[in-house]
Amino acid sequence: MPPRRKDASENGLARGTFLLLLAPALILLFLSLYPFLSGLYTSLTDQKLYAAGGTRFVGFANFVRLAGTPLFWTALGNTLSYTALVVAIQLPLGLAFALLLDVPGRLQSFFRSVLVLPLLIPPVVAGLMWKTMMQPQQGVLNYLLSFLGIDPQPWLANPATAMISVVLIDTWLFTPLAAIILLAGLQSISVELTEAARVDGASPWQIVRRIKLPLLGPYVLLVALFRVSDALKSLEIIYATTRGGPLNATRTLHVMAYEEAYRWSNLGRAMAIVFVLWALCYAISGTLLALWQRQEARRYAR
Amino acid sequence: MPADLSLRALRGHALLALGYVAFAFFVLFPIVWIFLMSLKSFGDIIAYPPRFLFTPTLENYVEVLFGGEAERAAGEIPDLLRFLMNSVIISGGAVLVSIVLAVPAAYALARRRTGGARNIQFTFLSFRFAPELSIILPLYVIYTRTGLYDTYAGMILVHQLITLPLSVLILASFFRDIPHEIEEAARVDGANVLRILVSIVVPIARPGIASAMIIAFIFSWNNLIFGLVLAGGATRPVTMGILQSMTFDQIKWGLMAASAMVSALPGMVAAILFQRQITRGLTLGAVK
Repeated sequence: MPPRRKDASENGLARGTFLLLLAPALILLFLSLYPFLSGLYTSLTDQKLYAAGGTRFVGFANFVRLAGTPLFWTALGNTLSYTALVVAIQLPLGLAFALLLDVPGRLQSFFRSVLVLPLLIPPVVAGLMWKTMMQPQQGVLNYLLSFLGIDPQPWLANPATAMISVVLIDTWLFTPLAAIILLAGLQSISVELTEAARVDGASPWQIVRRIKLPLLGPYVLLVALFRVSDALKSLEIIYATTRGGPLNATRTLHVMAYEEAYRWSNLGRAMAIVFVLWALCYAISGTLLALWQRQEARRYAR
Repeated sequence: MPADLSLRALRGHALLALGYVAFAFFVLFPIVWIFLMSLKSFGDIIAYPPRFLFTPTLENYVEVLFGGEAERAAGEIPDLLRFLMNSVIISGGAVLVSIVLAVPAAYALARRRTGGARNIQFTFLSFRFAPELSIILPLYVIYTRTGLYDTYAGMILVHQLITLPLSVLILASFFRDIPHEIEEAARVDGANVLRILVSIVVPIARPGIASAMIIAFIFSWNNLIFGLVLAGGATRPVTMGILQSMTFDQIKWGLMAASAMVSALPGMVAAILFQRQITRGLTLGAVK
């Protein structure tokens, strides 16, 4: 086969046309740079949300103060443990679901449509749904667990179990997204490859372990990227269930920032918290994205 | 076939069936349970052990949709119909604005394969990483000064942060799947880019556009935090309305369940009608 000529159609649109088509969407999105930068400035002031006027520039005072606030460190710890738990639970569970739904069968398409359902429910509503199911005395969850011989749990009401409870709600809601991405990965693996291994006498389990899992690398990273970046800034489930309580057990940075702004009207301090969180999000998500890009590049180079 | 092999196959099938049951239970139980709760009378709801069999009633739905004016004014029952209307206007408007801007942008990204195009695509992706409050808290100050606070226009504008990147990413992957040889002929005949886009690409990519619109609509509909900060009494979306009237009052589980069902309705209907497009769109939007 002769090498394909790199003509205009191969490289696609001309530069001018490209920018012209892209401009309206980019301009609209980059409008958000203004509030972003003004927020950055606000984090250096003592601005109040409701009181008008009298804003002073205070330099890094908000950040310094934050470092000396024990609750900030608690919230940072909560944010990180929420994120770690979310990934540690949802990645293997999503993988199990994906492997299950990858098995060809008659019911498969039904189960795949079931998979999408939680993603279509607003997180706040999911939080409220689970809150009623997690009621210590009357909730159906404790009732169901009693059949397995598990004692009633206080779930959201107890500081010791509150964090794992909100993570469970998150798990119900977003494991399907992990499964959908991993399922796409499994289906990108060529049938010839697994077929050849099967003919050579490999068991299904061996095929999964030796062939499928190694090829799933970029998709696993993608799941980590999406779940980590959403978990770091999660607010809606927590807001619908515990509002950061009991005893700050579920107070993440995003929840803390919201309360600082709306409960205490300290906009400057709230923005300082938000930008610490922002830096955290970009550092972690950026690292995962870079790792993913490198894997993708290697795959295309092959 | 040797006996031990068929036994192993049987065990494999049993394991698989068990997996399916566990999976379906995990995903469906909460939804089914809240649906049942929405059909229960107060007595059935607070009964313990929980009742799986009961006489269904629609009283929760009637109350939550058309209930007493006094409780509504006091914020004890959500003004659900109004909140729903607000959500339809905001999410619908946001999707329409997004799709008009996203179609050309996604086409541009799909048809130009330089490093620049890849970087811009990642810029769209990176809008997912930022904590929402970093933009909407400052936006609250700006909106109150400019009069955009608690207006549909303001809400539609801010929802672009969700709907626009999502639409661009999903559409770009759909457009990439269209072989560009189809467009070549038209180009040779002298059609310009806009013409090719409108009369060739868009008709071919109609399922893709539909799926981008549905997914963007659902993500916008599901959002709470924009409404929490930027909407007041006039534009309060359904997620915020439900939260506001339900969280402090533990006892109104029936009303909560009925509102939950109603608020999840667009997603559920979309799931039934467009199951395949949603799965495909979510996959492409996430993976490519």
